[in-house]
Amino acid sequence: MTEALRATDPVRRWFSSAGHDRRPPEMQEHYLDVLDGFCRHTGKSPDELVAFCFLRRRATGERFVSVKRRVTVNEWIDVFVSEQGWTGKDAVVTANIVRGFLIHNGVLIQGKVWTGG
Amino acid sequence: MEFKQVVGDRRTIRFFEPNEPVEPEKIQVMLEAANRASRAVNADFIKAIVCYRDELSDDVREQLKTPTTTVQLDLAPVAIFWYGDLTFAEGAQDRLKELTDLGALPVTHGWSHAYVDEVAYAQVVEPLSKDTTASIWAVSVECGLAIAQAMLAGVDEGLGVGLHAFNSAVAKEALGVPDTWLPMWMLLVGYPAEDRLAGGQRPRRPLSESYHRGRYGTRWEEIPEVTERLKKEGMIQEPMDAEARAREVQALAERFGLPL
Repeated sequence: MTEALRATDPVRRWFSSAGHDRRPPEMQEHYLDVLDGFCRHTGKSPDELVAFCFLRRRATGERFVSVKRRVTVNEWIDVFVSEQGWTGKDAVVTANIVRGFLIHNGVLIQGKVWTGG
Repeated sequence: MEFKQVVGDRRTIRFFEPNEPVEPEKIQVMLEAANRASRAVNADFIKAIVCYRDELSDDVREQLKTPTTTVQLDLAPVAIFWYGDLTFAEGAQDRLKELTDLGALPVTHGWSHAYVDEVAYAQVVEPLSKDTTASIWAVSVECGLAIAQAMLAGVDEGLGVGLHAFNSAVAKEALGVPDTWLPMWMLLVGYPAEDRLAGGQRPRRPLSESYHRGRYGTRWEEIPEVTERLKKEGMIQEPMDAEARAREVQALAERFGLPL
């Protein structure tokens, strides 16, 4: 399943841009598992997730990142992480795996930082 | 620390030790450095509000972020919000006369109380203060001078600093900023969680690309001996090593749970 995910353009872009394709296989598999879980949670493919974050201006057709949709995606991420039972640093790290996927596909999205508190 | 070393060591720090407190004494040194900066008409152009991170609610901190100011705002223990005061001309006559009486503005250069009233204030300062574009220019330049000194003082105190944009509407509401204050920058301050030299000096173009001699087009020619001396004295340092920096960023991302 994750091999099909890995073959999609946004995931290939993410892995290449972040250098994940040079990381140990088990780490690559973990990243893909997290994204796969999030895609199932939202019912969207990687392409659809990225596309969801952008809108086009009616006048010019110019693509831009929608603030409202970015907020929505952040809410989806929080719910997904909570449902998986991750807490503490695990929750921050896992949520940011999804955000990393979006960031490398041009979506400005900011998440939490683990400060040890 | 020697001046040239301070200039050479300054970086925009983006990874701060979130739980290592910054001593108010060091913040005061930074504010005093700003206060001592060169300033036209001896006016208090620069204003600042110092906020310790936990004095800002999570919601406000989130709303202060911009496309380029992100998790560094969550990591930095201190944020200094810098503003420029558009009422800088108020009291300018008195301050100029004070400088005249002290001899900082000497008669040898044409200064007198009458000159302040009839020329310096009436023909220069007052008209400038009433011209929006000119005022914003003057305030911005003067604030830049002060902020630069504060940053260098912070580095000299062993702190990391980073100047960033912020959502000024949110800050105005949250911090009770007066209407006459023009937002400048937010300076994040803390002890670096990354190497204090943040991977090396950022790329800079040669002096000849930006600096000219006598007239535009006659490029400044570097004196190699001076360049060598500045390397020895720390102003010019090793450039960034992208691979080493990538390793450092990865380690920091793992520590703070950040996206990679």
